[in-house]
Amino acid sequence: MAVNELLAQLHEIATSPKKQLDKYLAEGKPVVLVAPVYTPNEIIHSMGIVPMGAWGADMELNEAKKYFPAFISSIVQSILELGMKGEYEGVSALIVPSLCDSLMCLGQNWKYAVKGIPYIPMSYPQNRKPAYGIKFTRAMYRRVINDLTVATGKHYSDYALKDSIKIYNEHNAVMREFAEIASTADISAAARNDVFKSAWFMLPEEHTAIVKQLNEELKAGPKAEGKVRVLVSGVLADSPSLLKIFDDNDIKVVFDDVAHESRQYRTDAPEEGDPLQAMAIKFANMDNCSFLYDKDKKRVDYIVEQAKAHDARGVIVLMTKFCDTEEFDYVPIKRACDAAGLLNLNIEVDRQMVNYEQAGTMIQAFKEMV
Amino acid sequence: MYTLGIDIGSTTSKAVILKDGEEMLASSIVIATVGTDGVTQVIRNVLDESGIKEEEIGCTVATGYGRQTYEGADYQVSELSCHALGIHHVFPGARTVIDIGGQDAKVLSLNEQGRMVNFVMNDKCAAGTGRFLDVMANILKLDISELETEAAKAEKVASISSTCTVFAESEVISQLASGTAIPDLVAGICQSVAVRVASLAKRVGIRADVCMSGGVAKNGGVREAMARELGVEILHDENAQLMGALGAALYGWDKVKSVG
Repeated sequence: MAVNELLAQLHEIATSPKKQLDKYLAEGKPVVLVAPVYTPNEIIHSMGIVPMGAWGADMELNEAKKYFPAFISSIVQSILELGMKGEYEGVSALIVPSLCDSLMCLGQNWKYAVKGIPYIPMSYPQNRKPAYGIKFTRAMYRRVINDLTVATGKHYSDYALKDSIKIYNEHNAVMREFAEIASTADISAAARNDVFKSAWFMLPEEHTAIVKQLNEELKAGPKAEGKVRVLVSGVLADSPSLLKIFDDNDIKVVFDDVAHESRQYRTDAPEEGDPLQAMAIKFANMDNCSFLYDKDKKRVDYIVEQAKAHDARGVIVLMTKFCDTEEFDYVPIKRACDAAGLLNLNIEVDRQMVNYEQAGTMIQAFKEMV
Repeated sequence: MYTLGIDIGSTTSKAVILKDGEEMLASSIVIATVGTDGVTQVIRNVLDESGIKEEEIGCTVATGYGRQTYEGADYQVSELSCHALGIHHVFPGARTVIDIGGQDAKVLSLNEQGRMVNFVMNDKCAAGTGRFLDVMANILKLDISELETEAAKAEKVASISSTCTVFAESEVISQLASGTAIPDLVAGICQSVAVRVASLAKRVGIRADVCMSGGVAKNGGVREAMARELGVEILHDENAQLMGALGAALYGWDKVKSVG
């Protein structure tokens, strides 16, 4: 299949999550929503359940304001808004990890605001690397398994999880390969995002099959020329309006440090030994993310290193409004980029943005400056 | 060769015609929000003033909030780049440019060649912009042009929140009710804008010479408050509001020259 056809297929899926939900339900597969940022999707998958991403949507927020104050991330607000408006009807549960205060509030609010879709908490330890942290994560995975069984009637087995880990590791590898190929291939910012976004609405084995083909086609296809090469960082970079501004201004995303995109695929679970322990070890091994405690802020150096490795001229931080987790990291990121001679830009984004004029001006000025 | 620069701002349209990238033959400012016939009017004004026919213009460059929707331009350039060019033309020693427009504020850092090397813009918020001053002038029943003279009469600068235009509006009303003198309030309002924009400027880094451009630069109250906040002299040109249009015309001249 040609690149355009593969991308069109992924675009359709990325923009029609409801259709995907209905498809899986019609196939008799229970669907469980997974909220940002990290959830044990391998475990969900191994139980015969489809994990589907719930990162909210660009929309006007009305109902969610009954539960949330105005000064909270619009990502979590829009997840609740969609839930309250019945957009997730048919799913069996929502799993919310405890990775920031706003997410914890989402879980609590969901319990009262959305009837019929149970909330499953996934509590992670702050200190995930020591043995006691791994033990805690494993115990919390057990709790999630129990809650999933109650919500769906599906059962857990170590054998199935081993298989799912292999499927997810293969998907991780394919997505990492895509990110590298896309750094030089002639692919728009919007299409690149479609590849990442569609992964949230598909079973990994189905997504892997398409992206594998895409990678082969892109490798053989034309390379991007004359573009402004940037690394993009942030929680989310899926706004069509914003991505259009990137493409209109010849901004080429050569790598990303986006929670919704590449951060998901950096770490594999070990394929040997106890699979549940392997899942806990996977979480312990994850790094370079604002949501994962790291007193040394290694993420800062990681961004600079990746920008240099991918020959980026600059770093664009898409700062989700009221996301204090990301805001705390911004200052050292900016300082490190300045010190490394990387042009950098901070654009505030949220799910309720209607007017992108200011962002357009900043991106155009960034391009002119380069 | 004539080049036309048009700066289509949120509250005013500005135009400049340059001859050979040096001589300003005509300029005009029309108060009209983007999307109205302000652009047509401002172009007519500069053509009439210069006596030049539209077809004699070698290159037209649009900048500002409405640049993307103006179809008559050969190039559309961001207002940040244009203000950098315009200011560098007038003040070659400028290294920091503070541009406060109708609905946003920007701080630019320039290198020795006048090239923008860093910038920062305000958030999507009216605080620290010309809109903030409009709202405050309206509450005080003053014309925007009277703010400077009123601020000069102040005996004590009233404390006004720099966080939010809406909160500041209620603060001003409360202070009026408690008898605070209008000049003191106006000085507080100017101080509020200066504090807000100075914090932006410090993020880019202040390097002399520091210049102000945009409509708010005409307000001496804000300029003086800014100088106090930053601890540096603030330069400005009487045509501060035209710097974006001037930069656009200069950009056009550069393009014409590079094309040959």
